[in-house]
Parts: sequence; structure tokens; C-alpha cells
Amino acid sequence: MNRREFLMVSTAATLAATTRFASAATRLDMYTSSDANISDFFSNIIKPAFESANSGTELNVVIARPQAALDAVVQRALAALSAKADPQLDFIEQYDPLLPAGGIDAGLWTDFSKAGLKNYGTLNKLAIQTPYGLPYRGSQVLLAYDTTKLAKDKVPKTFADLVAWIKANPGQFIYNRPDKGGSGNNFVNRVVHEVSGRDPSKFKVDNFDQATADDVLGKAWAVLNDLAPSLYDKGAYTAGNTASLQLLAQGAVTMIPAWSDQALQAIAKGVLPETTGLVQLTDLALCGDFSKAVIPTNAAHRDDALKLADFLLSQEMQTAIIEKLGGFPAVDWSSLPKDLHDKYADVIPSSIPTFPQGKWTTAVQDGWYRNVAPNISRT
Amino acid sequence: MISAPRSRVGGGGLSGLLLVALPVLLLLWLVLWPVLQAFVGTLYFPGKGFSAASYVYFFSDAYSLRNLWLTLWVTALTSILRVAAAMPIALYLRFRTGSIAALVQSLALFPLFVPSVLVAYAFIRVLGPNGIVDTLLVAVHLPKLPSPYLQPAGPIIGLVWEGLPLTLLLLLSGLGRVSTASVEAARDLGAGGVTIFTRIILPRIQSSIIVALAFNVLGLFSAFTLPYLLGPASPEMMGPYMQRTFSDNADPLNATTQAVITFAFCAAFGLIYVRAIAKGRKGLR
Repeated sequence: MNRREFLMVSTAATLAATTRFASAATRLDMYTSSDANISDFFSNIIKPAFESANSGTELNVVIARPQAALDAVVQRALAALSAKADPQLDFIEQYDPLLPAGGIDAGLWTDFSKAGLKNYGTLNKLAIQTPYGLPYRGSQVLLAYDTTKLAKDKVPKTFADLVAWIKANPGQFIYNRPDKGGSGNNFVNRVVHEVSGRDPSKFKVDNFDQATADDVLGKAWAVLNDLAPSLYDKGAYTAGNTASLQLLAQGAVTMIPAWSDQALQAIAKGVLPETTGLVQLTDLALCGDFSKAVIPTNAAHRDDALKLADFLLSQEMQTAIIEKLGGFPAVDWSSLPKDLHDKYADVIPSSIPTFPQGKWTTAVQDGWYRNVAPNISRT
Repeated sequence: MISAPRSRVGGGGLSGLLLVALPVLLLLWLVLWPVLQAFVGTLYFPGKGFSAASYVYFFSDAYSLRNLWLTLWVTALTSILRVAAAMPIALYLRFRTGSIAALVQSLALFPLFVPSVLVAYAFIRVLGPNGIVDTLLVAVHLPKLPSPYLQPAGPIIGLVWEGLPLTLLLLLSGLGRVSTASVEAARDLGAGGVTIFTRIILPRIQSSIIVALAFNVLGLFSAFTLPYLLGPASPEMMGPYMQRTFSDNADPLNATTQAVITFAFCAAFGLIYVRAIAKGRKGLR
């Protein structure tokens, strides 16, 4: 065989091999814009389990951070729907099905209640807000604190107690900038709830109006500005969820708001010490949410995407969400082993208040930057 | 006989143009075109006509102006600190050889290979509250230092360290033009260290200093990671502010306006850099 023959044969063989693999394996394009703990969870736990349960299917985990990148992918899917083209997107691990505007009316998202999922009936009814998004994991913001500095029986359990504790212990509390992470954001949202009568149902995706916002948010800024001098460094705010955890871990502060899953994972990995306590406010919990997966109706591999959706609700994966991710399950606790329930009693929510995305969140975040952040006294 | 060299000159010109064509086209496509698009897009609205409202808003909004002002003074201070910190190292490396000089050089250039996210987290571990510095101070019974983390000084310290290598390399290349003979001649005539520096060295590396400052300003103006992770929540530098306006506030018009204004400042410094280069070339001829 001379060189030219060798090249021709090897090229032909390569071509044959690639086309064979391409036809054998269905590649399911899954997108996520969540933090690294979630994308790692999909790459390292769900992908191998799903691929071994469904031979011939490859789960392609695409990380589309930040959120704006994922928004662009969804816009492409919507455009593909009207053009009847392949959206090159089969599954999004977490996306608000109310977006993009008009998406549901155009028929972009799959209605899970009619998709014939085997495990749909096991879902926690608290978690279902719309049939177009499939809740599969939950997380809630709670307060993480250092039990060596604050005894478990003295920890504040209501918002008023928390404010009193922060003022009595200046420099020992910090929350992150509301746009840089949900823990600080939901702490600010809890203040908004507090000044508006502790009724989360007052805030909806579609009921924003400037006059109410000016009134309610004005009161919230007053509460937060009142707290500012008693915060770490007389009013400093960390740049994200993990930066707050780091200050708690370094012993620089005693208490922070934190996501339940990130706090549990940090304790399990030793990033936070074993002496870290977790507590939820009892008068009204801090906000939390279930992550909702969505599937475009025009996905090229919609049937396989539905298989993945069903797989995520299986007992095996829901248990992994609790044990490996520190999240809480989207299925009812009754369909999971009893000993798990007892072990994680601390973080099992009795209620999960929410705060709407969209204009309310934008008003809270930008308003915070303009009204709360600059009021810092360095003297 | 006479025409042959001429045609070679013409061919050389054409192939020279071809060589620069790719970068020039890329510059047109990836830099100048988006700039033009952003500039026009913030001023002209199809169907509504011209409006400079977003610029009027920016320059009448105290919050935006405070962010711009912070960006300007952080940029100015950091650039000057970088040159001030790199100058002694550059002088040392120019006039000393040996294994210690090699070690100093590799240490000074080390930040070039460290991503800024790592710099930020290392900074928090070392200079942050209860960090390594605090631990060492407590170990020898000294009081803890007030930490610069989340203070205006935080990003400045981080940015100075991060930008040191590039500044150092630019100054070293400038110092390469200072001949050892002229320094020795001045020393033989009895000039002291300060005189040699101000009368012999500084005039020779003037354009290098301007180039270093201009390069620093361009990089610092768009600094993102370190001000984001180490700085206070407010005022913000233009980089984080633009990102927040664009993605959190979903307000591309104002984000683009901020970008155009930022670009205008950078373009002014770019002009200074181009002038310095042109002057330096003339000086060589």
C-alpha cells in the first residue's frame, strides 16, 4: 500500500466510522445556565445514569452561562418554531416557561401534564405552578450561622428578631448584592414581603405598577438602610452566594442568608465547618423555588427529552438530588424512603414563598443599587 | 535592468497590503462595525428619528456619573501605581544580571499567567478578613489590619498586581534603549543615582512610559472581574455597571450608551498611544 492508497483507505474508514456512530447515538442537547454545582451534577451523575439506562442516547450537557446566553438560545428556538426548523435544543434544565413573552401561546413549550410522563403524578403539588415547566429539584434560602458564636436556642426565628439580632451584633451579618445571587436577592425580597404585610401573593409576574412599587420598595429601602450600619464592614455586600459562604467559613461574620443546597453541600465537603447551623424564619420563610425544566415542542429529539424528564423524577434521581446536591425533591416525600425524610427534616419546607421574575425583580435589584448600596459610611 | 527592481517594489507593496488585509478586515468587522452600530443605534431609532435622550439621561443621572467618575480615578490611580511599582524592578533588571535578577524577573512576570478569578480568590484568602495576613499578625500578637476586601482599595491592589508584568515588559523594552555607556559616562563625571535617572534615563524612556500608561488605561477601563469580586457594591466601575444594565435590567439601550461613552474615553487614550508610537518612531530615525 503506498501513501496515497493508505490515505484514501483511512479517510474512507474514518468517514464510515463517524457516520455509523452518528446514526447509532442520538445526541440529546441539554442546556443549563445554573451554577457549577448543578452543571457538575448533570455531567457527573445524571449523564452516566441516563446513558446507561437508555443505550444509544448521548446526553450533551451544554453550559450556557450567564442567563442572557440561554435567553438567546431560547429566542433561537422560538424563531425555529415559526420557521419549522430544528431549534438544536432538546431540553433546558431550568428556565421560566413564562418567557419569552408569548412563547406559551405560540406553542413553544411542552405541556407536561399531557405528555404522558409515568412519574408526573408523584410530584409535590406545592411545586407545580404551570404545566409547561417540570419542577424537578427545589432549593430555598435560609439563614446559615456559626453555632460556636451563636447558640442554637438563641438564634432569631422571626424577621423582627433577626433585625434586633443584627443591630445587637454589628458587623456579624452580610448578604450579597441582590443581582449577583439568589441568597442576597431573597433576603431583600423577604424585606419587601415584610413591609407589605407578609403576603407573597401580592407580587405577580403581571401586576407590576410603578406607584405601588415606589411605595412598597421605598419602605423596604428604609428598613435596609437602617440595617446597613450594623452589617459587616458598616454596609458591605458580597459579590455572590459563594463569597458570602466564604466570609462565614473564614469566621468573619456569624450569619448569612444562604441557599439550602449550597450550604448543605458546603458542609458535606468541609468548606463550611460541621458547627454550621441552618435555620428558617417561622413568621414567613425566605423565598425559594423549584427549578423547572422545559422542553420545546419542536425539539428534534422530543421523545428522548421526555424520557429524560421522566428519569429526573425517578426515585433514584430524586434521592441523588437530596444526597448529592443538597437540594430538596420535587416529588412528594411519601414516594421516597422514610429515613431520608428524617435526616433532612431541617430543610424540608412547610411553605415556599416565591417572588416573581420580570419587572418586580428588576425594580428591586436596580432600586437596591440606587437606594441602598451607596449609603455606606466608612467612618 | 531598471524596470525589474521597480516591479519588485510594486509587488512588495501589494503583498504587504495583503499581509495586513486580514487583521484590518477583522478590525473593521469585529471592532469598527459594532462601534458604529452601537453609536448609530443609541442615537437613531427607525421610525422615530434622532434622539440623544439616553446620553442626556446618563449625564444627568448622578448614579451613572458617580460610576464613571469612580472608573476614571481608579484607572488613573492604578495606572500610576503600576508604573511606579514596575519602574524600580525594571531598573534593577536592566542593570543587574545573575541568578537573583532572573528570579526577580520570573516572580514579577508570574501574574501574567494567573487568571484574574484566581487572583481575586487568592486575595480574599490572603488579605480578606481573618485571612493569612491576619493569622500571621495574630500569631505574633499584633492587631488585625482593616481588610481592603469590599473596599475601594480592594480592586486597586488586585489590579496593580495583575497588571505589573505588562507594565514591566514595556518599561524594560524602553530601558533597552538606554546605553550602558552613557550611564557610565555620566557616573564618571560624578552624577548621582537620581541625576542619572532624571537626566539620562527618563528622557530616553519617556515614550515607553506613555505607551505603558495608555495600555494600562485601556485595559483598566474595561476591568471587570476584580472590581466585581473585590470592590464595594457601589459605586460600580463601568464594566460591572454595563453588564448589570444589560442583563439584569434588560436595558440594552442604556447599556450601549454606557459602552459608547466608555469607548469614547478609551479612544482618546488610544490616540495618545498612537501619537507616542509615531513620535517614538520619528525619534529612532
